[in-house]
Amino acid sequence: MNPKFAAVKNHFTNWREWELNPIVIKELRQAVRSWAVTGMLLLFLTVLFITSLVFLVGQSFNVHENTELGGTMFQAFAVILAGASILFIPLYIGVRVGAERVESNTDLLYVSTLSPGRIIRGKLLCGAYMALLFFSACMPFMAFTNLLRGVDLPSVFFILFFLFLVVCAANQIAIFLACLPLSRPFKVLLALAGFFFSFWIIGGMIAMTFQMMRSGVGAMMADRNFWIAIGTALGAGVALVGLFYVLSVALISPPSANRARQPRRYLTLVWLLGGALTIIWIFQVAQPELILVWTYATFFLMVFALLVTISNADELSPRVRRDIPAGGLRRLLAFPFFNGAAGGLVWVAGLTGLTFLLSELILTHARDWFSASFSLSSTDQEKIWLYNSTLIAYAFAYALTALFIHRQFMPRRQPKIAGLLIVLLAGLWAIVPGIVLFFLNKLSWKSVESLQLGNMFNIFSLQEDGQRIYHLYFATGWLVLVLALNAPWFLRQWRNFQPLPARVPPPLAETTPVP
Amino acid sequence: MKVQVKNLRKTFGKTVAVDNISFAFDSGHIFGFVGPNGAGKTTTMRIISTIEDPTGGDVLLNGISVVEEPELARRVVGYVPDTLPAHADITVHEYLDFYARAYGLRGKKRTQAIEAIEEFTNVTGIREKHLKALSKGMKQRVSLGRALVYDPDVLVLDEPAAGLDPRARVELRELLVLLAERKKAILISSHILTELTEICNGVVIIERGKILETGTIEDVLKKSAPRRTVAIRLLEDNRHQNPQLLRELLQTPFVENARDVANEIHFELTGDESAACDILGELIAKKFKIIEFRQTKANLEDIFMNVTKGGVQ
Repeated sequence: MNPKFAAVKNHFTNWREWELNPIVIKELRQAVRSWAVTGMLLLFLTVLFITSLVFLVGQSFNVHENTELGGTMFQAFAVILAGASILFIPLYIGVRVGAERVESNTDLLYVSTLSPGRIIRGKLLCGAYMALLFFSACMPFMAFTNLLRGVDLPSVFFILFFLFLVVCAANQIAIFLACLPLSRPFKVLLALAGFFFSFWIIGGMIAMTFQMMRSGVGAMMADRNFWIAIGTALGAGVALVGLFYVLSVALISPPSANRARQPRRYLTLVWLLGGALTIIWIFQVAQPELILVWTYATFFLMVFALLVTISNADELSPRVRRDIPAGGLRRLLAFPFFNGAAGGLVWVAGLTGLTFLLSELILTHARDWFSASFSLSSTDQEKIWLYNSTLIAYAFAYALTALFIHRQFMPRRQPKIAGLLIVLLAGLWAIVPGIVLFFLNKLSWKSVESLQLGNMFNIFSLQEDGQRIYHLYFATGWLVLVLALNAPWFLRQWRNFQPLPARVPPPLAETTPVP
Repeated sequence: MKVQVKNLRKTFGKTVAVDNISFAFDSGHIFGFVGPNGAGKTTTMRIISTIEDPTGGDVLLNGISVVEEPELARRVVGYVPDTLPAHADITVHEYLDFYARAYGLRGKKRTQAIEAIEEFTNVTGIREKHLKALSKGMKQRVSLGRALVYDPDVLVLDEPAAGLDPRARVELRELLVLLAERKKAILISSHILTELTEICNGVVIIERGKILETGTIEDVLKKSAPRRTVAIRLLEDNRHQNPQLLRELLQTPFVENARDVANEIHFELTGDESAACDILGELIAKKFKIIEFRQTKANLEDIFMNVTKGGVQ
């Protein structure tokens, strides 16, 4: 029997011995005793109680029956619950993870045999339990509104369920931000950004709640499109949470491990699923333009992936090398899923190239397949092609230039300098000539509307459409040049991508208590 | 269990905290790790405990690399840091319970392990107390208990005696000897060097990230302090003879650096023990009323003062 399968079988047959994640137990023990949590919960209950009183007492002065009182109260409760749980719980979880990631803190739970995945799941589960605590405190107030009319029970439960998922997603994002290897000031800045971003999420949630209240979830449930929209939102949300989960696990994994594998595998899977779903949708609703949603989502993710990939070190640890498959084809297929900038570049280029080709293929044949419903003109199509190809060429040209500068001129510096260089190069080339020309042209920004080769943002501000093609020529030429310059480095990386013989670790004595 | 530190190097920017150091110790050994503040002791210990990654080199715990397989290494190493557990809102028992769970101890086995450790470290009476309410000594015990709860083969203790009262220090020493008898490999750093001399089999002296001396205590003492110091005390009424005794000694063979130290005459003996006997016989024959004639053995503190310069990076 396969050892992995045997381990899974053994896990399920011994279900009586299952135990809760140790981190959940510890965190919950601490949370129920913490003044922050109990104080927040008490404050939350007090606000809910006072709000109920204000509504009920206010209604008692009204001689006419208010058939919308329940709905109005529910909306108020939803705002309070969303505010309390989206602002407080992710902040609490994030701060705790961040404090444990501080290097000087040796009392780390990371120095244990708990796997990185188990640590992140523990933190996430703890956040979910805390959210359940807040939600269960609010639930009687919300269910009560049903008795006052103006809201149906399906709406109550549906909105609560959706809000709960949003809180869990916010928790995962907070955990990811806390895991980032940044200094304390940067983390504080991120926490502040996250705090303000939370208001945006709360705003969106409240808007959605109000919309659902107006329409009534019970009434919408019969509509197929309602479930499709909910399914799509849930799918996208789960994919995003999953991405932050694998990224967090990778961030707290030991540097000697193949940290790149899981995020790249996950993103490839999501990319494939997303592509398949988009194509199904295109044929369902006969709208080939939908492919652009998938295309631009992929490009957006790949720009970040490119930044991270370029910041990877070249050397593979012996532990990683032991995992490299020995066979030629298997080694080739494994290359993009291993640590290292070279493999990462192949992976990003592969996904970006395939997305671009598939997108072009669908848009080119769209007129034949969906003549009636295809709304894009051929000029628009050409524009999309030109924008996409130029931006991709520029992105890779910048990345490879940064890589070349780092590997050639500062190889002893940390590889993340290369990632920083891309941002610096692209930023400086976009800003400096613009500012110089601003002063030369008597304080006029007119120059940004004329051709500035190398400035990838200039494509969007160019006045003359015909000049955009020069950007493509320039970016392609530049890309070919840096490809040639980096070719020896790339070949060296491929040659170094060789497996080491697997080492059998010495057996360890079973853990036994000290007598 | 063999612990091998091989060409370990750690830099923080331009500061070289640990500079290519190598040493090894074994099961049943207590190895002292001494050096001035900022010598690189804590950094080395953090690397051995998988908390920090080295810039170069490696540490092998029975062949398991802390760099390559930190997850495996963590199963065999227990670390007592110099900072004490400061978790708020958690009791001693819950704290130990968490670490036992984190290291995969389950059900009855976990309960037994925690009870045994609480008894061993003498924290049973305070198991329901909150960590933040504990004294430094008690926290130190809890910290040791945490490192021992999963029965690791290697123990790394960073300044475990700092801030402990004399009784707690004696208890800690006894505890460490007991653990060494149970075949644990122990690396301990401390500034209380006299205590280390009593319990350690071996020692590493480090300064500015470099090893100055390493080996068994006896070897290091022999190597770094080959000369014996002899102290002579005359009967109280005859102390006025001290200058005369000093002059006499300066003319005696195998005697160097004779000096008056707090009404005692100290000198360095370059010869062996029979030379000491001859000197004593000669002095008695010359009617010096000697009440005390003793050889003072160099200890770790003397060697530490001799070999280190107190440099900080």
